Amino acid sequence: MAVQLEPYAPVPSLARDDFPAKLRAQWAVFTRAWTIFRRYPTWVAAVLIWPVIFPAVYILGARALAGPDGRGLAAFVQATGIQDYIGYIVVGTTVWMWQNIVLWEVGTSLREEQLRGTLESNWLTPTWRFSFLLGSSASQLIEMILFLGISYIEFSLLFGVQFQGNPLLALLVILLCIPSIYGMGFTFASLVITAKEASAFVFLVRGVVMIFCGITFPVLLLPEWMQLVAGWLPQTYMIEAMRMVTLGGADLRAVAPDLAALAGFGVFWLAVGFLVFGWMDRRARQAGTIGQY
Amino acid sequence: MTAWAIEAVDLVKRFPRKAQAETGETRDGEAAASQRRPWWPFGKKAEPAWFTAVNGVSLGIARGEVFGLLGPNGAGKSTTIRMLCTLLEPTAGTALVNGYDVRKQPNQVRQSLGTVLGGERSIYWKLTARENLEYFAALYHIPPDLAKRRIAGLLERMELTARANDLVEKYSSGMKQRVAIAKALLARPPIVLLDEPTLGLDPQAARRVRELIGELKAEGHTILLTTHYMEEADQLSDRIGIIDQGQIIALDTPAALKELIGQKDVVRLEIANWHPDMDTGLRRLPGVSNLVMRRLESDSLWEVNLQADSSRAILSGIIEGVNQNGTRLVNLNIVKPSLEDVFIHLTGKALRD
Repeated sequence: MAVQLEPYAPVPSLARDDFPAKLRAQWAVFTRAWTIFRRYPTWVAAVLIWPVIFPAVYILGARALAGPDGRGLAAFVQATGIQDYIGYIVVGTTVWMWQNIVLWEVGTSLREEQLRGTLESNWLTPTWRFSFLLGSSASQLIEMILFLGISYIEFSLLFGVQFQGNPLLALLVILLCIPSIYGMGFTFASLVITAKEASAFVFLVRGVVMIFCGITFPVLLLPEWMQLVAGWLPQTYMIEAMRMVTLGGADLRAVAPDLAALAGFGVFWLAVGFLVFGWMDRRARQAGTIGQY
Repeated sequence: MTAWAIEAVDLVKRFPRKAQAETGETRDGEAAASQRRPWWPFGKKAEPAWFTAVNGVSLGIARGEVFGLLGPNGAGKSTTIRMLCTLLEPTAGTALVNGYDVRKQPNQVRQSLGTVLGGERSIYWKLTARENLEYFAALYHIPPDLAKRRIAGLLERMELTARANDLVEKYSSGMKQRVAIAKALLARPPIVLLDEPTLGLDPQAARRVRELIGELKAEGHTILLTTHYMEEADQLSDRIGIIDQGQIIALDTPAALKELIGQKDVVRLEIANWHPDMDTGLRRLPGVSNLVMRRLESDSLWEVNLQADSSRAILSGIIEGVNQNGTRLVNLNIVKPSLEDVFIHLTGKALRD
């Protein structure tokens, strides 16, 4: 049917499609995530308390098993080659906590947006959708840098851990941990949007890391088949390399195989995260799951 | 540039869904239960049952037009709008928004659209109104200096300037909805999609939103509005598409749609102590059609709407038929046909059913 309307006055859109605009969008996602994070003050307690509470359980257990004069520690030193059993434990538990927190926070970041109702609003803009995951991960990384810094201070002051070795090499190990840890986080974030539930996934992965990667004991103590599984988990190499550098004073050559493995796992997990995100986005468009909560 | 701001041809959206335990019946009438073996955990999975939310919707919305998509809850309004704004991929059919294909050019479609979807939940409550608008301005790729001026202008227009730096969680529903609308207008999009924009608002806030829609039309924006408030659609829309069970069942100007009822009179009754037998009695009156009833929320009265070839011919019959066995006719009006009456005429049921 004919539509009788007054003459149409076109409205020029203000949206631009250039590279700086895309970078600004990425920055906006990061600052938004960081601003909202800061507005929930409980994060201060979490960052201060968790680094001490979690390893304390293992440290006290180790003290009890070592006996009043620490005689049992000889067996530990023989198995690990490291004298500082507290340092040994805190390195393992810190890597575990890092992965655990990323699985919860990055892994549920899109789901939280979905529950809040803002995921659709973001999806309706012309911004590249993977940016939303990258931006919230960048905010979470800042939180984790703070967490690692506070952990370092608390371990030194409260547990008397003496970290040694080359700090730049330790930093390199941390940098090479990031792609694997966050690649897993991206993968989780996408799966959680589809499954609408995170806890079962997180409990499974952190349980596997806890048992197979030797967060408080050497992997060599595990049965052979478990050692094979451990060899396919990047956290095994993270813990191993970090202990060698910060407690054993190892140089670059000594940890090069671990760093190479971490680089390989990093590429793998980032690629998996990216591909699973693309699959989730496509599936959500077909099934209409983005707006469902 | 195409003649239409939005053009949809035979849009279809089907969703797989779990079969009903007993019958497996879907809206399509596809039986699924017979193919399932719930006691057997292995082997071939049963074919999913399908729910067709949108079934062959075709429409063209002219540039500068306000188009209302009117239908009851679950009719397919929101699914249609979600396909047009690229949140959902159509199962079949095509749609062009501002000349861009929703499947092949989703980014250009999103650049052309401002969308209010999900109302007050579509913004961040832990940010201020200004922070929300700055964030979304960056996502719409608006240059910062331009964004700053645009945000100031929109805050002023939405009467939010004084509270712009307060967290949104402290706002009323109407204020949150105004932030959501400001967000949709940030990039000055040529086309604005408004999904139930007045849902849950108090009358004053709803009136302000309706005024705003009129202003946007005057500025040259094309507006697609979905609502289940017939008065709102009637008042705001140049044309209306009535959607039911995933299909457009009528599409025209509000006046032309009301003419579909033709010469019939619409009679509205309020009855106390209603009992179900009366339904049959009223339907038997000569020339009566499309009788629907609902209990009024405010008290024990029932409202009965019927359409008649001649109200004069049936008035005495209505009064006699109703005022018996303790039932009482409390009010009787012969009213002008509304869009609700058009919907009843077309489907035999009320919009609010």
